[in-house]
Amino acid sequence: MLGDFEYARAHSVDEVCKLLQEGKGDALAYAGGTDLLVDIRNGVRSPKLLVDIKGIEPLRGLDVGDPGEPIAIGPAVFLNRIAEHADLRGRHPALGDAALSIATYQLRNRATIGGNLCNASPASDSIPPLLVVSATLSIQGPAGSREVPLDCFCTGVKKTCLEPGEIVTEIRIPPIAPGTRTAFLKQQRIRGHDLAVVNLAGALSPDDGLLRLAVGSCTPTPLLLEPIETAGHAAEAVVEEAERWVAAGISPISDVRASAEYRRAVLPGLVRQLVAGLMNGKGGA
Amino acid sequence: MHTVSFRINGQLQTVTVAATTTLLEVIRDRLHLTGTKEGCGIGECGACTVLLDGAPVTSCLILAAEVDGASIETIEGEAKNGQLSDLQQAFVDAGAVQCGFCTPGMIMSARGLLGRNPDPPDEEIVEAISGNLCRCTGYEAIVEAIKLAVKRKRGEYS
Repeated sequence: MLGDFEYARAHSVDEVCKLLQEGKGDALAYAGGTDLLVDIRNGVRSPKLLVDIKGIEPLRGLDVGDPGEPIAIGPAVFLNRIAEHADLRGRHPALGDAALSIATYQLRNRATIGGNLCNASPASDSIPPLLVVSATLSIQGPAGSREVPLDCFCTGVKKTCLEPGEIVTEIRIPPIAPGTRTAFLKQQRIRGHDLAVVNLAGALSPDDGLLRLAVGSCTPTPLLLEPIETAGHAAEAVVEEAERWVAAGISPISDVRASAEYRRAVLPGLVRQLVAGLMNGKGGA
Repeated sequence: MHTVSFRINGQLQTVTVAATTTLLEVIRDRLHLTGTKEGCGIGECGACTVLLDGAPVTSCLILAAEVDGASIETIEGEAKNGQLSDLQQAFVDAGAVQCGFCTPGMIMSARGLLGRNPDPPDEEIVEAISGNLCRCTGYEAIVEAIKLAVKRKRGEYS
């Protein structure tokens, strides 16, 4: 038996917002439950009502469109669907690799992309690859709808800018220029499934030659760095520049998974591997 | 309370449960299908793996209230008419069972895998059971067992 709560299956976003608002802080949106039920079991959270959003069809959409078109992902899309979607993987390999690195096969059949975002863990694997392609979130609540850049969504460790009664209704990736290369790397303690000691996503656009990098698990919220110019620079110079920017941007702490020193020590190798790969043509469709 | 109807190993069942009841609790304590095990209760060990509409999931992290209308397969659905399933027989023949606690979950993960790819490469087998922990035999015998079941299906008897 898990805690003491009621369960409601919502049939529309309006219904979710209404139930969440009525429940004040005691009602929580419930998707895969792979984080939330563990928290409830461990006494970390004790909601009075779980509002299941998985039955709401628009929240389960995954529209990749044609190359050069935006990508729309519903928050209730299961991570395995993202990991296994060939067109999505072709356009944005980093997101597929990141989804595949989260938890185990069984958990990815339940865990959702929206849940991974809204859990707002500093070590979230889905956030860095979405940051480097400038993803935005559609949010709906009692006061209406709004768009929030993903970079502004997480406001602290496990905290988001969601107001009471609000939920994420769509994750939107603006058009990814054909030829863009993206990659994701993750340092774990073991080869099996594990949370990230550090993770890193990158996107290199052929249009403007800008390299966008995002680092996870080294700051209270995943860190999107300022774009780095690559046009006219040798790969080695870009790698060194990226290493400097990453080192200057992070403020890792020591926790159960690794010491701050280890995180600082391991990142340059990941940055080198990822950036050199992108510069040398890896990470394409 | 929530009244939910679902198919389990082909049989229609209707149960009335509290919102806090997990699918695992219904399977073990209400339907007395105790082949499905609880190891960790937090989705880490895979001992409670069942198929939900064909997909392997950890039943300890699913609320019973969620499965209305679903189709569930547990280890009890493997053997038919007193005859072990292909996977069960392969686990026996490959010596892939020691204490047996992880075995039902392993077999359900493997069943899910064979459902989506009847002829999986080794990497897919390893990935498919990566969420199932075994503390006795090591994983090699288990991977060999799944490979044996695949080979036998292909007609390469050994």
